[in-house]
Amino acid sequence: MEELINKLKEEIIDVLNLEGMKPEDIDENAPLFGEGLGLDSIDALELIVLLEKNYGIKLKNANEGKEIFKSVRVMAEYINEHRTK
Amino acid sequence: MTEQSFNTLIKCEITASTAKVNGQTILQRTDASEDWFSQLYHAIGMQYPKFFKMDRLCKAGILGAELLLKDFDYDRENVKADWGIILMNSASSLDNDRHFQETIATDNYYPSPAVFVYTLANIVTGEIAIRHKTGGESSFYVMPSFDEQLMNTLVNQAYMANPELTHIICGWVNVDGEEVDVRMKVVER
Repeated sequence: MEELINKLKEEIIDVLNLEGMKPEDIDENAPLFGEGLGLDSIDALELIVLLEKNYGIKLKNANEGKEIFKSVRVMAEYINEHRTK
Repeated sequence: MTEQSFNTLIKCEITASTAKVNGQTILQRTDASEDWFSQLYHAIGMQYPKFFKMDRLCKAGILGAELLLKDFDYDRENVKADWGIILMNSASSLDNDRHFQETIATDNYYPSPAVFVYTLANIVTGEIAIRHKTGGESSFYVMPSFDEQLMNTLVNQAYMANPELTHIICGWVNVDGEEVDVRMKVVER
C-alpha cells in the first residue's frame, strides 16, 4: 500500500502540474480538496482520467469521486480494490 | 476620433525575450533552456500555484496583469465591481488548441480536462478576474491585428455603459507558437 501511495503522489504531482511539490510534501491523510492541496473541479476531472488511464477504473457516477478523493490514502485503497490494470 | 475619457496609470509589455513596465526593462531572457513565462513568474516573486496549470495565453495575460498590479495600491481582498477587463488578440486560443489536438491525435486517447478548459481565448480574462478580484465588465475580442484606437473606443464605450466602472485592465495579449506579444495597461476614468 505504501508503494502505491508514493506512486500515486508522483502521478498527482505530474497530472495536476503541482510545480515545486515533492511526494513527501503531500500528506496522504490530508483532504485533497478544500484546505488540503486546494484542488478544484478541473483537477477532479483530471483525477478521474488518471484512474481510468493508469488503473483501468471507470467511475460510473462523478459523485463517487467525493468519497474516493477524500485523501491520497483513501484513493490508494480504492485503487487497490478496483484496479483492472 | 472618439474623445478619450480615461487616463493611463501604468503600462507593461512582454515579448518572447523581454518584460517591461512603463518602458523600463524588468527582465531580459538569458536562459533559453528554461521556460520564459516561468522565469518571469519567479523573477517578479509571484506566488500563485494555479499559474502552472494555465495554458500559455493565460500565463501571458496573468503575468501582464501581475506586472501592472503587483505594486499598485488597490483593494486585494474584495471583489471590485468598479474594475473591468477588456482584452484582444489575433490568435485566439490557437496555441493551446494545437496542444490539445496533439494530445488527442492517437488511438485510445484520454482528453485532458485541464488542457481542454483553455481552448477558449476569453478564459484569460476570467483568470485575471479571479486573481485580482475584478467583478465589472469583462470582454475579449479576436481581431486581425492590434488597433489601439479601437481599444480606446471599447474602453470609452465600457465607461459609458457602466457608470460604476473606475479602472479597466486592457490591451493586447497574443501568444502563437514562438510569438509572444503582450501590451497591457491599467486605465482610470
